[in-house]
Amino acid sequence: MLWLTAAAIVVCLVAIVSLTGLVIVQGAKTFWPGRIERVELASGGVLMGIAVDEEATPDSSGRAGDARRRLYRVGNRDVGAQAFEWIDVDAIAGTTRPSDAGLFERRTWGVWIGTPRSVFIERVTPVLEGELLPEVLDESTAYGPARGERVEIEPGEDGGRRARERLFLVQDDPEAAWTTLGRMLPDAQRRWDRIERLKEHDIGRVSARMERLRLRVREAELASQRGARTGLGWGAWSVVAACGIGSILAGVALSRRLRSRPDDRRLRAARGVCVLLALPLVLASVLERPWSSSVMSGDELAAFSREMGEKIDAIRAGEFAELERTIAALEAEDAQYRIEIIEASGGRIAPRRQSEPDEALQVSQIVRSVRANDLTFSGRLGVYFSRWWEFLSEDPRSANTEGGVFPVIFGTVLLTLLLSVIVVPLGVVAALYLREYARQGPLTSVIRIAVNNLAGVPSIVYGVFGLGFFCTSVGQFIDAGSSDPLPPVGSGGVLGVLMGWWPLAIVCTLIAMSGVALRALALPGPGLVRSTRGVWLARFGALAWFVCVVIAIVLIVRLPYFGGFFSARLPTPTFGTTGLLWASLTLALLTLPVVIVATEEAIAAVPRSMREGSYGCGASKWQTIRRIVLPGATPGILTGAILAMARGAGEVAPLMVVGAVKLAPELPIDAEAPFMHLQRSFMHLGFHIYDLGFQSPDSEAARPLVWTTTLLLVSIVVLMNLAAILVRSRVRARLRGSQG
Amino acid sequence: MDATMSGTGRRRQAGILDDIREGRPVSPEIHERARSGDYVLEVRDFSLWYGSSRALHSVSIPVQRGKVTALIGPSGCGKSTLLRSVNRLNDLIDGVRIEGDMLLNGGSVYGRGVDVIDLRKRLGMVFQKPNPFPMSIFENVVYPLRVDGENRKGVLREACERSLRAAALWDEVKDRLQQSALGLSGGQQQRLCIARAVVADPEVLLLDEPCSALDPIATLRVEELIHEISSRYSVLIVTHNMQQAARVSDLTAFMYLGRLVEYGATEDLFQNPHLPETEQYITGRFG
Repeated sequence: MLWLTAAAIVVCLVAIVSLTGLVIVQGAKTFWPGRIERVELASGGVLMGIAVDEEATPDSSGRAGDARRRLYRVGNRDVGAQAFEWIDVDAIAGTTRPSDAGLFERRTWGVWIGTPRSVFIERVTPVLEGELLPEVLDESTAYGPARGERVEIEPGEDGGRRARERLFLVQDDPEAAWTTLGRMLPDAQRRWDRIERLKEHDIGRVSARMERLRLRVREAELASQRGARTGLGWGAWSVVAACGIGSILAGVALSRRLRSRPDDRRLRAARGVCVLLALPLVLASVLERPWSSSVMSGDELAAFSREMGEKIDAIRAGEFAELERTIAALEAEDAQYRIEIIEASGGRIAPRRQSEPDEALQVSQIVRSVRANDLTFSGRLGVYFSRWWEFLSEDPRSANTEGGVFPVIFGTVLLTLLLSVIVVPLGVVAALYLREYARQGPLTSVIRIAVNNLAGVPSIVYGVFGLGFFCTSVGQFIDAGSSDPLPPVGSGGVLGVLMGWWPLAIVCTLIAMSGVALRALALPGPGLVRSTRGVWLARFGALAWFVCVVIAIVLIVRLPYFGGFFSARLPTPTFGTTGLLWASLTLALLTLPVVIVATEEAIAAVPRSMREGSYGCGASKWQTIRRIVLPGATPGILTGAILAMARGAGEVAPLMVVGAVKLAPELPIDAEAPFMHLQRSFMHLGFHIYDLGFQSPDSEAARPLVWTTTLLLVSIVVLMNLAAILVRSRVRARLRGSQG
Repeated sequence: MDATMSGTGRRRQAGILDDIREGRPVSPEIHERARSGDYVLEVRDFSLWYGSSRALHSVSIPVQRGKVTALIGPSGCGKSTLLRSVNRLNDLIDGVRIEGDMLLNGGSVYGRGVDVIDLRKRLGMVFQKPNPFPMSIFENVVYPLRVDGENRKGVLREACERSLRAAALWDEVKDRLQQSALGLSGGQQQRLCIARAVVADPEVLLLDEPCSALDPIATLRVEELIHEISSRYSVLIVTHNMQQAARVSDLTAFMYLGRLVEYGATEDLFQNPHLPETEQYITGRFG
């Protein structure tokens, strides 16, 4: 038996260690810069690439043969077909490692592997009709002396001609090209960043202002379409408002009386009735206020919309145009700096765009240049860590196969935090009721079993539920209000009148009142057990509350007074679509059973002697819960929170349905008011792994990143768990009474 | 309770325990000296059921003010239940039903309109096992005041010192009031619980076998403490230990199977019990 049990644990350990080991090794080696080999093929062809894999060549039946083949990362996807190529080892005539070859990570189209040849500044100047072309002169530039050379005269945009000139800083000298590139690159990248910032941040800010003005017009239009509401007359309104205030005052007075006679059941019931009466009366006097009918007339609306239109035009002609001009100027300047990088065969250069194969690459297109064969070990380490830093801090590029995953990390962490902020209080309160307040009986057992079973429901079911309930139902209600509102007062027969909003609200209040009264009557006297009559009264009271809640939900869902918070933006949905808030709510629902079960166990584990001690000191039930039970249960609650976080952070299936996307243009938190944009869609590491591994156009290029992203996801989950475990151990130490 | 009842008790003394076992009604033997004086707590025909099983049978005990009253009897005789009924801790148990009433300083304990929380604030209770809360020593002692809404630092500090001194614990813990109470030894913990029980000046102090989980030296100290505070408080103590009852109490009630058997001044009961069964129990011949 010893051997069997030991074998089982060994199998588990091996599985776990090999899993984590594989993830760590594969994930960590992704960014290590490999050496570039120039491969001469027996057929006479030449290619340059980084060897990433080698295996026995499979024969036609798929079995491994004697021959071997090697996988080269050749890059240059915009001129070649594939970024990775299998080469039979037998077909290789020889390999060298040219020291001037380099790996260039570009902003688009992935890496380029080649040798830099020339660096030049390209200028385009318009040539007026009949004007003599100016002499092309050698110049001294910021990057050293340059030799001028006219390339061509070509037709310009407005029918005129323009001259293209090149100022060669380096020509046909790889060594010098590397040095000049090294000096030029930081400037070019700064310029690029500035353009990006202008495009995204500044333009976005101005557009948002214009959008806000447009929305104000739209809101005014919608309000005038709805028309003025009649509301109550002044007389009826004063009666309703007076009754509301009266019942509030009565409730306050009864509360005072209750303080000195806390066991008086009639007083308690009367106070409940007062509170319940005050609610609809106050609501009515607010919703049906007679002075609420301020809607623009047609002329006012037209004038308002004209005024706003003028403002928008002013912004467009002023600030917006100014920004666009600045960007155009910067881009023109940026386009001047070019570098020619030729591929191994010497044929093609790295193009500026795929459509312009003869235009040399803009320097600012290069994110990082690695002279892979000429690096010392520390240089390699530097490249390695700078790649890691880029991975952690930058946005993704090239369909997520290049660049970083910062928005993905951000989305994952935010989602997990949000979900725990939602699920922990909800679960703890639910567990408290179940364990401390609810009468333990068959009903609570059923609820407990149901909660436990919820933990076993496949997560995609939660995703579908989240999409159907949160995104479509709740979200659309928030956006546009009720799609089918009840009339304030119904008409046509008793049933017809009842189906009005206010009659239904009154019915709801009456039922709630009867519920309060029944529960109060059902309370047993001191020292007596509940009689059968009391039990039935309590059941009817609970039923009344249930009916009341159902009617209240109907009242909210079909509220005629609410037109939605974002109706002006329709048909573009705001909350009525998938997004971060709904995703975290869905995951909160998914992890709720974990928290409830853990909390219930923790609460039950607080010793009876503690509770009795507290009651013996004259503490009320709530005081005992708050001061003794909850602190004692904190470690257990935190365990539940940790489990919930771990489960939530690793969940992918429901997220695919309720809001995780391949590429989110904006972070859910930014400097734009109201700063938290929980309606936005977001990126998530789990989904990112799936996307990279199975949806990517370039699966070979994406595969190392899959490992790295997996490593990252695992580390983030471990980190968050560690933080929670640290908190828990501190709480535990405090409870156990260790010194300090 | 009156003279004729005690008379019948005396006539049927030979088989009183058998009578109890077979459920025949018996009347308790209450000494004259125990009936005189000023009652702080008066238990009147008090019965209690756990579900359908009856734990107390019409118990009537007058508890005298400023005295230590001990409840003794074999396990399961209902002495702890009686004690926990005084501050209505049994209300927390599902299916408990009572009949009869108690009067605390003349006011009903089980009447309609009694606020249980308020009632418990007027009583202090110490349990069998020390149960300090997982918080600092200071917070433990002032817990009853805190739940009563007292948050003034000065008042709390003063009350804490006073009751820790009363519990003879002040000198041992005065330098570490902010440290966890769980770091104290068992005996210290129990004295802390006593300090907690007396901090709000209870009308009656209820002690439920306060020494049964302590070693002999700690027991001795707690007993001394009970003796000391008995000058200030009325104490009702449940004990298993005959010597302890003899040492600390002024009056002793002997209970058996949910019924009061004999009640009297401690020296009378121990030296000259009216019933032979009491004598047998006290001398350890049964129970």
